[in-house]
This record gives sequence, structure tokens and C-alpha cells, in this order.
Amino acid sequence: MKYLPFVLKHLRRNWVRTGSTVVAMAVCIFLLCTLRSVLSEVDGMLAASQANRLVTRHAVSLTFSLPMAYEGRLQSIPGVKRVAKTTWFGGSLPAKKEAQQDGGAGAESATTDWSNFFNNMAVDVETYFAMYPEMVIPADQWKTLIETRSGCVIGSKLAKKFNWKVGDKFFLESFIPPYRRRGGPFEFVVAGIYDADLSKYPGTDVNSMFFHYEYLKEGVAPRDIGVGTFAVEIENGDDAGKMSKAIDALFENSSAATLTETEQAFKAGFIAMAGNLALLLNGIGLAVAFTILLVTANTMSMAVRERRTEIGVLKTLGFSSAHVMGFVVGEALVLGVLGGALGVFGSQALLYFISNTPGVADILAGIGLSGLELKPDVAAIGFFVAVILGLCAGFIPALSAYRARITDILRTV
Amino acid sequence: MTTMVSVKEVTKVYKRGSEELKVLDSLSLDVPEGEFVALMGPSGSGKTTLLNLIAGIDQPTSGGVFVGGKNIAVLSEGELAKWRSHSVGFIFQFYNLIPVLSAVENVELPLLLTNLGKKERRERALTALKVVGLADRSSHYPRQLSGGQEQRVAIARAIVTDPQVLVADEPTGDLDAKSAEEILQLMETLNRDFKKTIVMVTHDPRAAERAHVQRHLEKGVLQLR
Repeated sequence: MKYLPFVLKHLRRNWVRTGSTVVAMAVCIFLLCTLRSVLSEVDGMLAASQANRLVTRHAVSLTFSLPMAYEGRLQSIPGVKRVAKTTWFGGSLPAKKEAQQDGGAGAESATTDWSNFFNNMAVDVETYFAMYPEMVIPADQWKTLIETRSGCVIGSKLAKKFNWKVGDKFFLESFIPPYRRRGGPFEFVVAGIYDADLSKYPGTDVNSMFFHYEYLKEGVAPRDIGVGTFAVEIENGDDAGKMSKAIDALFENSSAATLTETEQAFKAGFIAMAGNLALLLNGIGLAVAFTILLVTANTMSMAVRERRTEIGVLKTLGFSSAHVMGFVVGEALVLGVLGGALGVFGSQALLYFISNTPGVADILAGIGLSGLELKPDVAAIGFFVAVILGLCAGFIPALSAYRARITDILRTV
Repeated sequence: MTTMVSVKEVTKVYKRGSEELKVLDSLSLDVPEGEFVALMGPSGSGKTTLLNLIAGIDQPTSGGVFVGGKNIAVLSEGELAKWRSHSVGFIFQFYNLIPVLSAVENVELPLLLTNLGKKERRERALTALKVVGLADRSSHYPRQLSGGQEQRVAIARAIVTDPQVLVADEPTGDLDAKSAEEILQLMETLNRDFKKTIVMVTHDPRAAERAHVQRHLEKGVLQLR
């Protein structure tokens, strides 16, 4: 420790160079931590999937709906345990809620409050929640939900965010035209609040809302809205591939051919619509880290070249080659520690900002990324990478300082 | 009088590619304890090489270098570094102070290799600065000092571990006449009052006159004059 002030003094020799190197390192770690956090959240979402749950959708695109009659045909396939209609409603809170409560007159002109967007689904609640035992609803609330046509259940995180309690009412209006009601936004009553044991089922979404599919269907009648997707529970998860093929074969020559995949593959495919996210984000992270390694190594080499005489003097005074090498590595390490700390802090600040900014947070929540945060393991990895980058960047110049002979250095003075 | 430095039959050969350059040729030299010796000679005569061997920053191709009775020619690089830290003080022509450290921090630098506590290190460094007359400039950085003052700080750094031997390579070579005179007086004081054995390389006859003994080298061989 007695050498630390000496190492720090050297870093203060050129503020601009030290500062820019630390900032470069910080940017690298910031990107790494932020991108890893996004990937970690995506992985968590995928991990919450189960192999015995399939999703059947229109073979062409998610934007096309399937005929409601498919439900019975799916149910008749041997090996299928349950089938539930699910439709992504795309509803958001109207900005002028009071105006909506007055009646339908001003409904069409009501604006949408995108800043509080969240995921909301119209489902066959009884079969759907039977398929998802990880989402737990208290018995009395469940009873209320079943008995109330406009009832809905909301995730605990969503309830906390809006401070909604059982019995509260709110309005939602979809931005998807077929799901808009002529009489104005749909009114919902909070029948229950569901929660999940996240230690047992990590990645379970507790930031969504579910309501009766029949309520949506009746609300937009006589318009035929079909079904967005069918959630299909099968008897044996090992048969997922075989069952998917059997389902798709059943509708192969119909006007609405299907594409059936596991819940995990469905979610992964949904995410993949934005491209190969993992490859893209990891690629960016690696490229930045490698670039920063070169920049830092060059900076350290320059710093050591400038101080060749001082290295000779230190050795003359009795500092061993290992001491001198330690000083150079120490400087690089301090750069790594400072850059790492700054980068981790920056990432934490950004993710906190995103998670707490109305609009941005809600859009992310709408695609299932409601728990975006810098996890301790990601922060630790980022910091570790910074330290390793520092050590690697300092190693070659340190080795050069280690090998430098006093007489060679002093001769060139 | 005890011999402090004894160079015995030392040969130093530098290799440049396939070419061999003999810088010192079977050179022997004895410096008694408390002596002040000036080494003179033309450029390339081997003065600095001899000084480096005595200071333990280079090793002879053959022969022995005894300082305080210890043959430092047989020590490993690590052992030599440890030996230098407490047995010899080096004064450079261009002072070679660390620019990011203050005067007292520069002087304190060799003490980092000891087991002394922070407070004691600082006290010793300040004492060394007092000896060279710069106690009042302890917090100044090298850029804030004149050439003569820088060299005095360098001398304080050389004596702070209380070594037996001081070696100086052209200590007045970069100074004006007045500053050079001050440095030479200081070296005389160190030799006379602090009983330091001093080996000084110089081109300046006036500086050499301040030494007790002058030895001349030519082509790696000591001349009898």
C-alpha cells in the first residue's frame, strides 16, 4: 500500500491522457453492462417458459388472427391437454380518462397515454391460468374474476406501479383498430392481483394484465376478431416437436395455416424480430472491449516510453525489476478500476433512468422487459472485465520496463 | 586506512553484434574509506563504465568489484538492487528527479524500500534536505527549482539511506559555475563531515581539484601520472 500514492502521482502526470483513458474504459464497461443487462433480461424471460406449453399462431405473421373454430379442433388432437385463446390487446390508458367516463361522445377523439403502456392480454382465464400455475391468484379474487365479465387480474408489479387495488376501475383503449369499441374504451375492474415466486420461477412476468377474451369479443361484436394465438398445453413436454408438427399438419391446407412452436421458441422468435439480439449485443460488446484494450495498451506504452529515464533511476535507487513492473501494472490496474467503477455506475444510472422514465419503461414492459436493471452479477462481470482489460493493457509495457537495463537507459539520457 | 572500494583486474567487454568492444582492460583500483576520488579522462575512456561497476548497476565481464568488503560482481540482479538500496548513493549529471514528486517525496523515494513507517520516512527525508540546505523548499516540485537546487535535492536523495559510498557522474556538468561551486562544496562537506567515500567522474579540472585523488583513464586503462 505504501507504493499506491506513488502510482497515483504518476497517473496525475497527464490529466487529459489519464482522464480520456478512464472515460474510454468506462464507456466500454458501460456498454458491456447495459447490453448484458438487456440480454440477461431476455434470457430470464425465455427461462420462464415451459416445454409442455406450445403457442399456435398464423403461419404468415403474428398480425393475422386465426379462426376461433380452431380451438375445438386443437382440443381434439390426442396429447393436447388444454387450449386457451390469447389475444394481445395492445390497450393503453386513455389520457383523458374523465372524458371517457362521461360516455361515448368524445371517445373517438380521446388521445392515448403511451407513457403508461403495459402488456395486456385477452385470454380464456380459466384454462389460461390452469396452464400457468406459477401465476398465483388468491382464491377469493379468482372467484370474483370468474364472476365479473369486465374483471381483470394484474401483476403485483403493475399494481404497485399504478397503486391499483382490488375493486379499482380503469379504462383501456387498444391502438389496434379491430379491438376498438365504438362506445369508447373498455372499462375494467381489478378483480385480482397475481404474483409469482420469482425465486422458484425466475423471469415470470408480474407486470401484465389479463382479462376475459369473451369481454373483448362481445365489446367489438359483431366484428369477428378471431384469435391472436392459441396457448396449447400438451401432456408430455418431450413430445413438443411431434405435437407441433401434428398441429400444423392439421391446418396445412386451410385458409389460415398455423405455425406451432414451444413457448420459449415463440418468445425467442418474437425477440428475433429485432434481429439476432445476442449476436448483435455480444458483438458490439466484444468489439468495443477489444478496441479499448488497444487504446489503453497504447496509452500505457506511451506513458512508459516517456518515463524510460525514470525507470532507470528507480532501478538505480534499488527498486527491483519486479517493483518497476508492479508500478506499471498498478497504474494500468488503477485505470481499469476507475474505468470499471465509472462504467458500472453509468450503466446503473442509465438503466435506473430507463426503468423510471414514463413512456420508455412502459414500452419495454410492453415487450416483456419490465425488470430491466443492472444485476449484481452483470456489474461484477463488467468490473472484472475492466480490471482484466487494465492488466492486459499494462502487461506488455510493464514487461518492457521489467526488462530494461539501467545502463542502456542511462546511456541514452 | 580500510579500503572501501576495491576493483580487481576488471575487464568489461560490450558486444555489438559480432563486434566486441573492450571498455575496461584488467583495471584495478583501490579507494580507501573516506576518500574523495575524481576519475577523469576523455570520452569513451571507460570512466562511466567503471563508475557503474562500483555502483552495482553493471557487472564486469571478468574480475571482482569489492565494496565494503563485499564482492558485488557475483551478485544476482535482484541481490544487486537490494544492495544498491542501502549501500550506494548515485548522483546523476541531469539530476533525474521524478517530476511528479515534490522535493521531499523525491528524497523519500529510496526509503520506500525500507521498513520505516511513513512518519519516520518523512522525517529522514526532511533531515536530508536540511543537510543540503533545502529544508524550506521541501514541498516544491522539480520544475519550481533551479538546476543547482535540483542537484542538491538529488544529493539529498543519494544520502538519505546513509550509504557508505557516493558515486557521482559529472555532478556539475549541467550547472553554471556558481551552482557547480555550491555542489562541490556540498560534496566536500559530505566527505569531510559525514565521512562519505566519494567516487566522482568529471571532465572539469576545477571540479577534479576538489577531490583528494585524481585518477585518469585512457582506453580502459588507469594512467600513472
